[in-house]
Amino acid sequence: MIVRRARIAVLGLGLLLAGSSGRVAAFPVDGDQTALPSKTELNEDALDKPREVFRSEFAGGKSYLINLGNLAFSSPSILGEVARQAGVSCGTCHVNGAGNAKFFMPKMSTRPGNFDTTGPLFNPKANNFVLDPVRIPSLRGARYLAPYGVDGRMPSLRDFVHNVIVNEFAGPEPSPVILDAVVAYLQDIDFLPNQSLGRGGRLTGKISEAERRGEALFAKPFPHDPNMSCAGCHIPSGGFVDHQQHDVGSGGLFKTPTLRNADFNAPYFHDGRFDSYDQVVGHFDRAFDLGLSAQDRRDLVAYLTAVGDGTLPYEHDGAGASLKEIDDFASVLATAIPAGDKDVVALAVDTIGQELRELTERYPDRKNTSVSGGEVERSRARMALKEVVLTLRRIDMAVAEGRINDASADYKTYRYLMAAAVPALLASAEPWSLFNPAVHDQHYGALRQVMQSKHTSR
Amino acid sequence: MRAATAAPLDDAAERYRPYMIAGIGDALAGARALRERAAENDLAGAKKAWISARAGWERSEVFTAGFVPELDARIDAWPNAVSGFHAIEAKLFGAGRTDVESDAAALIEHLDSLHGKLRDMPLTPQGLLDGTVRLAYEVGESKADGGESRISGTSLDDMRNNVAGIDFAYRTIFADALKAADAGLADTVAGRIGQLKASVAAPDLPHVNIRTLRRASEELVVALQAASAKLGLPRPTLEAQSR
Repeated sequence: MIVRRARIAVLGLGLLLAGSSGRVAAFPVDGDQTALPSKTELNEDALDKPREVFRSEFAGGKSYLINLGNLAFSSPSILGEVARQAGVSCGTCHVNGAGNAKFFMPKMSTRPGNFDTTGPLFNPKANNFVLDPVRIPSLRGARYLAPYGVDGRMPSLRDFVHNVIVNEFAGPEPSPVILDAVVAYLQDIDFLPNQSLGRGGRLTGKISEAERRGEALFAKPFPHDPNMSCAGCHIPSGGFVDHQQHDVGSGGLFKTPTLRNADFNAPYFHDGRFDSYDQVVGHFDRAFDLGLSAQDRRDLVAYLTAVGDGTLPYEHDGAGASLKEIDDFASVLATAIPAGDKDVVALAVDTIGQELRELTERYPDRKNTSVSGGEVERSRARMALKEVVLTLRRIDMAVAEGRINDASADYKTYRYLMAAAVPALLASAEPWSLFNPAVHDQHYGALRQVMQSKHTSR
Repeated sequence: MRAATAAPLDDAAERYRPYMIAGIGDALAGARALRERAAENDLAGAKKAWISARAGWERSEVFTAGFVPELDARIDAWPNAVSGFHAIEAKLFGAGRTDVESDAAALIEHLDSLHGKLRDMPLTPQGLLDGTVRLAYEVGESKADGGESRISGTSLDDMRNNVAGIDFAYRTIFADALKAADAGLADTVAGRIGQLKASVAAPDLPHVNIRTLRRASEELVVALQAASAKLGLPRPTLEAQSR
């Protein structure tokens, strides 16, 4: 409980800051010349990113296959042309394997946090001509959560991933190893730990009275059907799922979603129609005539909040976090270069190079009006990152031409640069970077203001 | 093969000067036309003049950041500059307003000041190679968010003019010397510039193949880095203030 209160306090502080400084949380894609609809919100500039926990990190480190899967998951190049042009990857919606509650795409979303997988934009052949978006789910604990899809139509995670790549996003047929890798990566993403959950999914430790009462209500048979209860489908001992589809009065049969880490998975229901647990509980109260009192509802919300918690759900997005991810991605080169695996090397160089180019833009150049000072530090950070991009490109060129020794030598240079020199240069430039909330807000605030002047003038 | 000596390159750099003067001259003429059109409340005419001025400027970016960094930062500042191209862009194309008198006056002053310096400004092959390399790298940046001139929707024009500037600088200053020193490498450079041209010849920004463009951009930079040694020049830098 201590952890949860701390989180709530942090969130509260965040809201206060947002109120006092006019925090601009995100900047949408805009302009008339973009592959995505104008006013698309990808939330890519968020300063806090979901924390990702891997099972294998507790078991000796991530395998080549898991790192390759993480790389492919973050690469637009495994998807179709529109996604590639827009720079959209699996990770755009599933940020660090979680969801993206602020994601919004006109024509494909009806509210932030949902997306029409059968919409017109990414694969016109898959367009069902109905705007029927589904909420973007978190993928934490995916290995426990079969079947897959909001309607649970696919028993196999591998088949589901294949369908997303080829049908929903019009990507080329993925190689078997890439499919295996993405599945291995997804199966490695764990739930965030929750100290309040004990054996069999029971609340444990210092539990409030409301949470205790909520736990009892959760297991209590429904008044008009004693065979049913909340816990009957959200089975506490089974990751709060039953692997079944149900009609809960929301317009069809949908699979039972997990409640683990669900505090961070809003919006709720298959289409993301509800923002809060209170709304969810209210729906069940009405749909199943549960006769809940106001106190009962509060108690259930308290219980859900306790179950849905997780340790340190977000982490500050700084250069360190970016470099750690890039380091994981780049580790595949240690295997792919000696093997002369052109496809994997090209995938890695394209994906990491793009990440590094985006990281470079976090250190504004001297033309940027939203930051002053630290010109030398920013310039050095930018230059170092560009050198790394070019080192990677040399690796790609060498492997493509069969010059494996040259590629290995450049990979050594890459490792050397990224071990100490680049992190140090980025750290020294950080105060004048977009990782500094003040600079971030000024930069994106200015951009948004300029774009808004355009929209209000029409 | 042998490394080329710098002296012929100094002469070659001089051949770039008229192009530089013409590019900034065009930008200045466009900015003056823009002020006139805006003063007559002719929004369409002012926009057209802005685009024309912008073309001259973007063709000149091979040298602006390296040789005149202060003016470059004033003329091309963003996102919420108080003067310069993007401040005017936001008013004309964003808000649909023509009250850009003071912004246009500042832009003209800066461009005029720059134009006046060009005839006597010392030009070094190294500085021009640095600028060519930096711009080649920059062209490969993703424009998925609409790019630098997203409000006017002219980011692709910027890219085309950048590539034209790169092409001209390379052909005028370095191509002959590199052919003499390493014909194969010269072919590689020319090939990559050709790929850049083909990429930005797309009908609009969403149809520019970003992956191909980026690859050509980076391979061009790698080739020019290799070329520097053949030309007897230090390795080009990737940031303007870093030499």
